Amino acid sequence: MAGMTALIVDDSSVMRKIVERALRQAGLDLIQVLEAANGVEGLQALEQHRVDLIISDINMPSMNGLEFLRQMQSRSLAQGVPVVMITTESGADHVREALAAGAQGYIRKPFTPDQVRERVLPLLAAV
Amino acid sequence: MAAALSTDEQVSQYREHLDRAANEVFSTMLGVSCLPAEVERREEAIAAVIGLAGALSGSLVLHCGAGAAMSLTERMTGLKPEEVDATVRDAIGEICNMVAGTWKGYAPHLISGCLLSTPTVVEGQNYELFSQRASLRIERSYRFDDEAVRLTLFCEV
Repeated sequence: MAGMTALIVDDSSVMRKIVERALRQAGLDLIQVLEAANGVEGLQALEQHRVDLIISDINMPSMNGLEFLRQMQSRSLAQGVPVVMITTESGADHVREALAAGAQGYIRKPFTPDQVRERVLPLLAAV
Repeated sequence: MAAALSTDEQVSQYREHLDRAANEVFSTMLGVSCLPAEVERREEAIAAVIGLAGALSGSLVLHCGAGAAMSLTERMTGLKPEEVDATVRDAIGEICNMVAGTWKGYAPHLISGCLLSTPTVVEGQNYELFSQRASLRIERSYRFDDEAVRLTLFCEV
């Protein structure tokens, strides 16, 4: 998994850095990390850049993570790119909704780097 | 079907879940345990507030002093802040967010039915936060390393 570009969407800049660190610790060779503070910025990033992986929170201002996924689908942005939600929402309903909206993986906050590795690497291997 | 909890049992459960959530978040994300402790109230400099709505209305507040906030931020980011800045406020807000999400995840009736707001962070001294509508206030103090944090849950019963 060499030379990848990841998009991390979270309203917390601290959390975006923690996720990036976890991805690197998982063994991803990230040559570029794009950051977005909400779904609107995430869509703008996808319109301008090609990415290999998307990590997104759910609860964000302006546009939440679920709407971000739906907009991605309707605009045919980042087709075939694995999407993993990292969020405090852990209910089965939220997981179902995220998967229905187009996510392939789901990680609950708080999380360990190992959990990121276990969820993300198989998705990238399947691409 | 399990019998509904009495008010005292509900309060006790909320308190126990708060203790579990604090320790889970601190242990997982910050690499340090966070356990209930009788702590002398120290000068607090920052508070993060997460609103609760839906199945339960209220808020969760995380209060701590500047030293504790900077220590938590350093553990979370690997960088050592020199003052309570935007990164520290962000980190405290995110910790409160995770504690709130973890706390509600322990209760089947809250896990999907209780919604969380994005964090609000208040910086300053000599103030007290009140919830205008909450009938219940649960306050817990915790120690991690040589520092202390306080969690206040405002909600209805």
